[in-house]
Parts: sequence; C-alpha cells; structure tokens
Amino acid sequence: MTELEYFKLALASLHQGGWYTWKTHDADGNKIAPIDRMAYANIVVTKEGVSKPTEAEVNAKIQELKDAETTRANKKASGKQKLKDLGLDDDEIKALIGA
Amino acid sequence: MSIITLNTRSLPDSAVTTAKIAADAVTDAKIADDVVGTEHLTANEVDTTALGADAVTAAQIADDAISEEHLDATVITGMTELAAEPADTDEFLISDAGTLKRIDYSHIKGGGITGADQWRINGDVQYGTGNQVIDSQWERVDSPTDYGVIGSAMTESSGIFTFPTTGIWLIQHQQSVFRSNGEIQRHDCRILTTTNNSTYVLASQAHVQTDDTNYRTSGFMSFIFDVTDTSTHKVQFGYADASNNNPTLVGSSNEHFTASFFIRLADT
Repeated sequence: MTELEYFKLALASLHQGGWYTWKTHDADGNKIAPIDRMAYANIVVTKEGVSKPTEAEVNAKIQELKDAETTRANKKASGKQKLKDLGLDDDEIKALIGA
Repeated sequence: MSIITLNTRSLPDSAVTTAKIAADAVTDAKIADDVVGTEHLTANEVDTTALGADAVTAAQIADDAISEEHLDATVITGMTELAAEPADTDEFLISDAGTLKRIDYSHIKGGGITGADQWRINGDVQYGTGNQVIDSQWERVDSPTDYGVIGSAMTESSGIFTFPTTGIWLIQHQQSVFRSNGEIQRHDCRILTTTNNSTYVLASQAHVQTDDTNYRTSGFMSFIFDVTDTSTHKVQFGYADASNNNPTLVGSSNEHFTASFFIRLADT
C-alpha cells in the first residue's frame, strides 16, 4: 500500500461513517490541486460531535495498520513454514491456503 | 415633273407593307401600349436584359418549377442567423417521401446528450455493517484536467441525489471495497431508487467478494431511470455488508474509486 492509501485508510478507521472532507481552496482562494489536498492539513471535519484527530493520532493509526499488515505477513510466513515442517510441499500448501 | 403629296387619307387601308419601312424605323413611340402579344415573340427571344429587376413575381413562376439547380447557397447563408435553440414551433422544410412539408422543431429536437455528471466519495470511509447508504463525503468531480460534465449539475444531500431535469437517465455506479479484517466476505453493491421521495427499492446490484484480509475488489452497476418528476424520483447508492464486517469504501479527491455517473439519454 502507498503512504496515501495508508493515510486514507487511517482516517476511515478513526471514526465510523463519513466525517471529513478536504479543504479545496487555500486562504487566498486558490484551488488546491486534488492530489495535494488529501493531506492532514486540509482535513475538514463535517460530522457533528467529531473532533479533528491530531496529526500524531493519525500517524499512530497509520503505524498500527502497517504493523498489523507486517504481523499478518509474518504469521502467514511462519504458518507456511510449519506446514512445510509437517511435510507438506509448496503445491499442497498453495492448495490449502491459496498462497 | 410634279410632286405628289401623300397623307394618310390618300393611302388605302393596308397599303404600307414591310418593304416600305426601313430597318429599325419603328421606334418604341410608334407602338401602341399593350399591343405586343406573345404571338409577336419568337421562342427564347426574351432574355434577362429585357426583364426589369424584381419583374418576375411569384405568379409568373409555374408550380413545382424551381428545382435544386436554381437554388444558391445564399438561400441559407444569406439569411439572418438564429443563434439559439429554435422554439418548439419553429419550422423546418422536409421531404416526406417526396412531398415537401413543414415540420415543427418539437418533433425533431433531441437525440443529443444534454446532461452528464460525475460524483465520487473523496476519501476512504467505513459506513458501517449491514445495509448502508453512502450518505456522506460525496464531491462533484473537479479533476483530473479535462474531466467532462454537461448541463446542470446533480444535487446531493445526505446521499440522496436529485436530477436537474426530467428525462431518461442512465445511472452508473462503481464501488471500490477494502477489507481490513476477515477472510472471505460477501459484499453487495447497490443502486436504490425512489419514485415517491420516500420508499427506496433496489434497482441494481453487483455481488463482490473479498477473499482475504487487505483485499480490494470493485463492483459496477447500471440502471436506466425514467425520471418523470424531479421532486419524487431520486437515487441513492449503498451496499449490503452480508458478513457484517464493516468494509471500507475507497475514495479519493483526485480520481474515481467509489463514484457515480449520470447521463441524460432522452426526454421522458
């Protein structure tokens, strides 16, 4: 996953439902390019009762997602190794778990 | 030698023959008004120099006599331009199986696309488990460069889309789904419509499945909607999360992931 994908996924994970949008114009009224507006500084909270998370909170959620993916990949690798240790070959493991 | 004086009384009737008249001797003044009939003209004798400007009136033109060879492009290009859509009762000339007839613009207008719009969710969102409507984070397309829309915009409020005009509308929806947990998960993408601004029914579905954690998939649906009243005929987009696993719908403010498209095909 790209950093932008982790960032957007972190925002989705922080609150249920749609709760934010992006600032589309800067203080001088200039349009912010869409690819640039998807950044922490441009988050605008739209849902009542929701406060904007701090940048540290967003970064912590991103790290949490990355760690979970790493953990999952490690568990998958160790699980495959244990199956091999039991005597299964790669084709049999692939037939079982699809990878 | 004597000189005989002749006067008209001395000449018997019909005594002056053509031999007695010099060439070009009979002038315009010697011809009485309204006496030169068609019997005195030989065929093809009358040329354009003999006709005064605007001398030929409609009465002098036989019925069905003006064919294409007598028309010049200035018949069109010389006219005052109508620089706007014609009124419904403005008329055109048409050949109806060989018979010329007039036809009102109202009978021939249409055929072109007069409305097209694009919307998307502008970031990733988890709308919840079970049956959900995509009720927030919609934005109208504004990128990439050269994106296209036609006519008036759709309007959106809490995920309910209102059409700018009545008509037959093609609705398309793509939904990008991300699963951050769970294994095989079923997900039903949906287009829902109402004709009474209250009760929504399923109009189109796409069944998709994510096979593992961190899998992405997309569904694409279409529905042609006869919008006879813009105040009652609306559309929503949503999903059924059959696995109750709180999927993430993928969105972006830069490109389409989860997005909807509206194209007006014709009048209702």
